[in-house]
Amino acid sequence: MIDFLQGKWLKHPLHPALVHIPTALWPMAWIFDLFSQFRADNVFVQLAFYAGLLGLLVAILAIPTGFADWTDIGREKPAWKLGLYHMGMNVVVSILWAINLWLRVGSFQTDTSVPPGLFGLSTFATVLLLISGYLGGRMIYAYGISVARLSKKKWRKIAEQGGAAVPPEDGE
Amino acid sequence: MFKALLQGKPFSHPLHPALVHFPIGLFVLSLILDIASYLEITSNDLYGASLYVMAFGLAMGVLAALTGLVDRSDIRLDHPARKTSTIHMLLNLSALGLFSINFVLRLGQRALAGIPLAYLLLSLVGVGIILVSGYLGGTMVYDNGIGVGRHRRDTRLPKKTIDVSFLVRHDGWAVVCDENELKDGETLRVKCDGNIIALAKQGGKVYAFQDFCTHRYGPLSEGKLEDHQVICPWHRSCFDIRTGKVVEGPAKVDLNTYSAMIRGGKIFVK
Repeated sequence: MIDFLQGKWLKHPLHPALVHIPTALWPMAWIFDLFSQFRADNVFVQLAFYAGLLGLLVAILAIPTGFADWTDIGREKPAWKLGLYHMGMNVVVSILWAINLWLRVGSFQTDTSVPPGLFGLSTFATVLLLISGYLGGRMIYAYGISVARLSKKKWRKIAEQGGAAVPPEDGE
Repeated sequence: MFKALLQGKPFSHPLHPALVHFPIGLFVLSLILDIASYLEITSNDLYGASLYVMAFGLAMGVLAALTGLVDRSDIRLDHPARKTSTIHMLLNLSALGLFSINFVLRLGQRALAGIPLAYLLLSLVGVGIILVSGYLGGTMVYDNGIGVGRHRRDTRLPKKTIDVSFLVRHDGWAVVCDENELKDGETLRVKCDGNIIALAKQGGKVYAFQDFCTHRYGPLSEGKLEDHQVICPWHRSCFDIRTGKVVEGPAKVDLNTYSAMIRGGKIFVK
């Protein structure tokens, strides 16, 4: 199960692939919210709802895959804590969007601008998400989480052919 | 300086993989709106709504393309991921081209009640290309470590592996390059008789050690040099470049080292 969630079957980690959808669509929903404040048009209210909804559906899939990736990080590593913050913030953001969408269901097909309260809610969620996404990126690009996890055998072979000292086969 | 900005160095986070969330997410949303419009599951104008989403996807796609080009320029020419990056780029450019055509066609027919099948198919092909290309982009990061730890390196990266295997030797020494081609804090990647070697210059002296980290085999010739230590770009293993000894894990095994010297303005290795 962990292997499936980590994307071994796809030969590509699942979590960073899935998160593209909420990471793009939730800030876009906020942008559509913003547009509707300046130009009253139901199309923006609808777009914000659709973007928020698709973001939420994929986020629900992304959360267990992220958790599965996180369980592989040693507790003593700095990325463990980073992952904990990243996870906590993302769960909060997902709940905020669930509430936000729930409050819009009845009116998004007719409203011509998003009510200020809901706009505020998406603003807050967007700020949180961008911080959390940055932390997620740092886990990869600064701490190498999931990097060479699925390709270490391939690189081991290349390193051996290149005359390199390598660790014992089971000592990795 | 501008290049460093496009590579996201001031943010300690590459820009390209952050930006690409947007075209990927937006083109997928636009396709889903198209499908919903084609199936007429609501009386709302989803065809019209999809156009806005596509416009944002295109705008962000152009930004992503720019940053991607800059990132690609730092991939070593003989790196296995170099070819992947070319395919990734060509696929993305074709997808952007297809979506541009798609967008312009729709712009001329905004008032349609439903979406023509041809436009839906055009979006379907575009998203298909993007998913394949995104997968390739992901393998560049997760299999090949492209962009990982790059922000810590502030000197230029090796352009290619210099193969000195077939050069004439003097007492076993092979000449690599002129001394002034390698500055302090810089590295080269050299191939000599099958050995892949990282050459580093520090304090006017050159040191040679295996290019592969002993943890997950990350490229030490792309690592950061701090005094006489090299930090692997992937998982921050740290080695002494004079002895090859592990200074800090996760790596546990010491590096193989090789002999290198500067004589008569040239750098030699054996």
